[in-house]
Amino acid sequence: MASKLYTWLDSRLNLKPIQKTLLDEPIPGGASWIYVFGSATLFLFALQAVTGMFLAVYYAPTPDHAYDSIQFIESEVTFGAFVRGLHHWGASGMVVAIGLHMLQTFLYGAYKPPREAMWMAGVVLFLIVMAFAFTGYLLPWDQTAYWATHIGINMVGTVPLIGEFLMKVMRGGDTLGALTLSRFFAVHVLFLPALLMGLIAVHLFILRRVGPAGPWTDQRAELRHEAFYPRQVYMDAVVMLGVFLVIAALAIWLPFPLADKANPSDTSFVPVPEWYFLFYYELLKYVHGPLEPLATWVLPAIVILVMLFWPFIDRNPARNPVRRPVAIGGGMVFLFVVFALLGISLRDLYAVSRADPSVMRGKAVYAQFGCAACHRIHGEGGAVGPDLSFVGDSRPDRDWHVRHHKDPASVSPGSIMPKFPLTEQQLRDLASYMVSLKKEA
Amino acid sequence: MEPYKNEMSTEHRVEAGVEGQQALGGRRTFFGWVTGVAASLIGLGLAVPLLGYVISPALKRRDKPWVAVGSVGGLPVEQPTQLDHMSTIKDGYVETKSHKAVWAVKQAGGDITVFSPLCTHLGCGYHWDASEREFKCPCHGSVYDIEGHVLAGPAPRPLDVLPSKVEDGTLFVTYKEFKAGLAKKVEI
Ligand code: FES
Repeated sequence: MASKLYTWLDSRLNLKPIQKTLLDEPIPGGASWIYVFGSATLFLFALQAVTGMFLAVYYAPTPDHAYDSIQFIESEVTFGAFVRGLHHWGASGMVVAIGLHMLQTFLYGAYKPPREAMWMAGVVLFLIVMAFAFTGYLLPWDQTAYWATHIGINMVGTVPLIGEFLMKVMRGGDTLGALTLSRFFAVHVLFLPALLMGLIAVHLFILRRVGPAGPWTDQRAELRHEAFYPRQVYMDAVVMLGVFLVIAALAIWLPFPLADKANPSDTSFVPVPEWYFLFYYELLKYVHGPLEPLATWVLPAIVILVMLFWPFIDRNPARNPVRRPVAIGGGMVFLFVVFALLGISLRDLYAVSRADPSVMRGKAVYAQFGCAACHRIHGEGGAVGPDLSFVGDSRPDRDWHVRHHKDPASVSPGSIMPKFPLTEQQLRDLASYMVSLKKEA
Repeated sequence: MEPYKNEMSTEHRVEAGVEGQQALGGRRTFFGWVTGVAASLIGLGLAVPLLGYVISPALKRRDKPWVAVGSVGGLPVEQPTQLDHMSTIKDGYVETKSHKAVWAVKQAGGDITVFSPLCTHLGCGYHWDASEREFKCPCHGSVYDIEGHVLAGPAPRPLDVLPSKVEDGTLFVTYKEFKAGLAKKVEI
């Protein structure tokens, strides 16, 4: 049936040559598991595109609804948290895949003539992916998104002369607000995808014109010439399935929760950038004062330019890593620095225990209703009611606290504690605060 | 249907035949099979959640809450009273407050009937004419008695009664709307 349809279409559209170009591309040295990173990246892009389109079904890019719409997706739409999880982890996956792809290209010297333009298009693709990550981070409009973007844009502000102007252009004015959100949204879902697709086309077009590089020694490349289909396609498909399963598992078991809704007046919030920007964030901690613009933009600009023009900087014709000690050594030092910074940053992040916003709100409720008039916490407050310093140890049950604060006599018969007019949210926050009062905390 | 043939396609068919589909035999089938399975698993893994994701709001029935509209004690007997009905409507993630005044009538026996504020003809707001003791619609002249029966005009059916209940002396109403212009009461 399918083959009949194909024959029919082929007689009209002359499909065979296209099929030949797509599937019969010869691979020097044969198919290999080392060549899968490019297709894995392409697959992740497709996954991001699909999940992104579906997220746009519910998402509203305005400050008064962005957060609520994401929360709606998370809590009320069937599979909503899963789809958002796929998009979130897919972004991380894409950075990993593109990193491995570049690493492999670098190691194999595949950027050398005649593939310089392909490498350059690849570097631009990498930058676009980072721009995707940066613009996408703001869209949930929660505290993390808001403040991380605030800092990101401020870094642009340190560029001499035009920094201030660039910053205003990015924000669409003087403040990070409605105009910023809608332009980040437009860039994230319209401008960047169009750019990315165009460059992917260029990247693949060059690949088809010059062919894949293959192994770094000509003898091994000459061993066999195998067509792209079926063995390389099979390897790519298996890897894509593996990538999909990992991303899906992360989406299911490591949900990406929303922080509180963005609050421009709460400057106490300490934002954390995504892990792939962390090394840079860490680097900036070491440079202050007049040297700051050097780290925030001179250094990255140099790194990007070196990356972009690398095929012209590295003139060594050899592709074998053993015969390219300088390039390989330089690459290793670069990777070492990046991963060392990332490592330090991650270690510091996990050393600080971050305060649960619900606990903070509970504390505020405790103060607002004058609970300290009767209760004592760590030596402060009255002695009429029980001391609550370590109540979380003796009563770890949140529901008990909720019921107790709603109507004390219902769970503690004979209690003289009055009923307070608390809302459901306040009850939950107060319960979070009570449960957090523990010895080891 | 007889395939339309041109020189080009015949030429390529020959070429494809020479290509040697038979060369790899079993291994070729295996690779094709694994590729197919991987593609289908990914496709299925996406199609099912994404379909559910898109259609889920269509399957959710909008829940209509009970809203307190006032105390029963204050209602005069056999004297229709307009009571404010304030409800929060959830439209996806957007919450809007809707303000509607419903007509509550305490019958002689103490039972309370609550009428939708919309005329059953074309949905105008009607009012109570206290001197003639009739509900009157200004738009096309429909007239109803205190029990909602049509006395005159184009109204196709009696006034729509809204579900109501009394708890602890407070009157609760569930606001609903019905299609205008039909002899039967059809909820929207
Ligand atoms: S709408 Fe009331 S009579 Fe026409």
